[in-house]
Amino acid sequence: MGTITALGLLLLICMVAVGGTQGLQAWISLIFNFGALFFAMVLMAFHLPPVLVTLVTGVIVLAMTIFLGGNDSSSTMVAFYASVAVLFLLVILIIPVEHWAQIQGFGQEDSEDLEGMSTILGISYLNVAISTAILSTLGAIAEAAIAIAAGLAEILEQHPKITLKNLQNAGFKVGSQIIGTTFNTLFFGFFGGFLALFIWFAGVHYSLGEILNDKILVGEVLMVLFSMMSVIATIPLTTWAMVASERQARKKFLK
Amino acid sequence: MINGTKDTHSFWQRWWPYLVVILGALLVLGVAHDDQLYQTPILKIQSVKQISSDKQTDQFNNEDRQVEQALHGVITNGPNKGKHLQIDNTFLKSGATTLGYHTGQKVFLTVHHHQGRLSATISNLKRDTALAFTVWLTISLLLIMMRFSGFMALASVVVNGVLFWLAVSWNTNTQGGIVLVIFGGLAIVFAALTLLIVIGFNRQMLMTLLATIGGTALSIVVALIVFALTHERGVYYESMQYVTQLPRPLFLAETILGSLGAVMDESTDIIASLMALKTEKPDISAKQIFKSGRQIGGEIMGPLVNVLFFIFVAETLPLALLFLKNANSWGYTFNMTMSLGVVQSLISGIGIVLTIPLACGITSLMIGGHKSWGRLQH
Repeated sequence: MGTITALGLLLLICMVAVGGTQGLQAWISLIFNFGALFFAMVLMAFHLPPVLVTLVTGVIVLAMTIFLGGNDSSSTMVAFYASVAVLFLLVILIIPVEHWAQIQGFGQEDSEDLEGMSTILGISYLNVAISTAILSTLGAIAEAAIAIAAGLAEILEQHPKITLKNLQNAGFKVGSQIIGTTFNTLFFGFFGGFLALFIWFAGVHYSLGEILNDKILVGEVLMVLFSMMSVIATIPLTTWAMVASERQARKKFLK
Repeated sequence: MINGTKDTHSFWQRWWPYLVVILGALLVLGVAHDDQLYQTPILKIQSVKQISSDKQTDQFNNEDRQVEQALHGVITNGPNKGKHLQIDNTFLKSGATTLGYHTGQKVFLTVHHHQGRLSATISNLKRDTALAFTVWLTISLLLIMMRFSGFMALASVVVNGVLFWLAVSWNTNTQGGIVLVIFGGLAIVFAALTLLIVIGFNRQMLMTLLATIGGTALSIVVALIVFALTHERGVYYESMQYVTQLPRPLFLAETILGSLGAVMDESTDIIASLMALKTEKPDISAKQIFKSGRQIGGEIMGPLVNVLFFIFVAETLPLALLFLKNANSWGYTFNMTMSLGVVQSLISGIGIVLTIPLACGITSLMIGGHKSWGRLQH
């Protein structure tokens, strides 16, 4: 058995042992997300427009992660709508910033990997960079949206008569509780993955100026920042969506 | 939190985030005009003329356009400041390794003096302003939306960033010989410091720290056992990027750091909720605490594993596409570009799942068992 298969099965066993059905769902969503990512890549290789492919994949991935992750149907619906809104807001930000920073493709540090490769590709790597940035934030958006929506659903369950104003404040309070640890998840997730690059910088004695203008580093830091901004944006958007859905539910109840 | 300043009505308390935003905007403006700070000559491109545009094909029938452009510009710093230059630049439209330039951009130059005449080639694009702008935008959003908790989140990231860089320098000074010791040890320091900032020093923080370190360590031990049993089949260390030292310990160090944040996130969530539960129902039993903890953990583990999965695997997209366009099979492309990211996600996932019983166990032992034992004494 290969290592990946063994680790994957072990993860399945752990998840089911700890979470039961929910664990199985979590495992399926992970496998599905891998499939979606790989499929998106293949579509891009067949010259479908990368950003469009990414947006469609993004919405599907958010739906799968959120609906297989949460169990309360009304709060997961809200989380899904809010996360899609964040996704589109983020795209509006990512496209101009990536055009400005021009971090697409490979840097001089990659030259060893590129040896013997043809770089005549016919695919706009600027669009690929935009797609990469969008894809890397999907997990963070889904996680934050689920956390806020689930937190608010619980508050609503315990205090069904809470005013909408207080509900909104509670949303920001839940947000302020998760933001610190979520930032660290993102920081370590990205920087842990690029440890080798930083060791390279230190080993070759890059100057501060070289580091701050380096294609790969700037691209990496931009991805961390996009993810962080997506989490920041998810907090109010999910809260507002929750308040709006509660307002509608109450109006219906009054009628 | 958002209304915390309303009572005091102090001008400073109300407006400090906006002051930081304005100061930051001035700093970004400064970075846009910081050419004097660089020793490398910088050229501001003033006009661009396209010389030619030809169709290119390779042996895999990929098609691209190769464009040649003539850039005119003026040097903005150093001894040659004010001198005008023309530079030719050739690039492919796809832009994977080469770059087309346009008017208004600034580029770093490598200047050659050839028989008293000045000529130059472009070494890199100046990206610091775009970087500074995005950093500014993130911090501004964070402070305006989240105020004090935003500031604390920022503080913990900055502290971790500084420590991270110190650790990297230390690793370089020891030629990478003890990379696992450095980053394993630093993971503990990272976790302790972050939790101190996020929670403060109390019993809850110590419990969270214990669960975080235990969960991360456990995932690495499990990974090493699986590696040994499967003889690391399908783990291609040679596909690791930017490697300047022994890849295996480096990969493990990357995995430890990568999953640390998520494991910390999770144990903070579980233990904080359980502490709140204990306050609400003081006579809850240790068993019930364990059970509710497991339920909370079960809900958050899936989304958390996906956060790391997308971070680890989305990054491999550009290289994977390059492999595919070079007529490599899907399997080979996966092995050479994505497999390590997948292995990392799976190890982190196992760590995230195993942290749940660990965090629940620690909490029920510390607050559940202790209290009920105390009641027995009465």
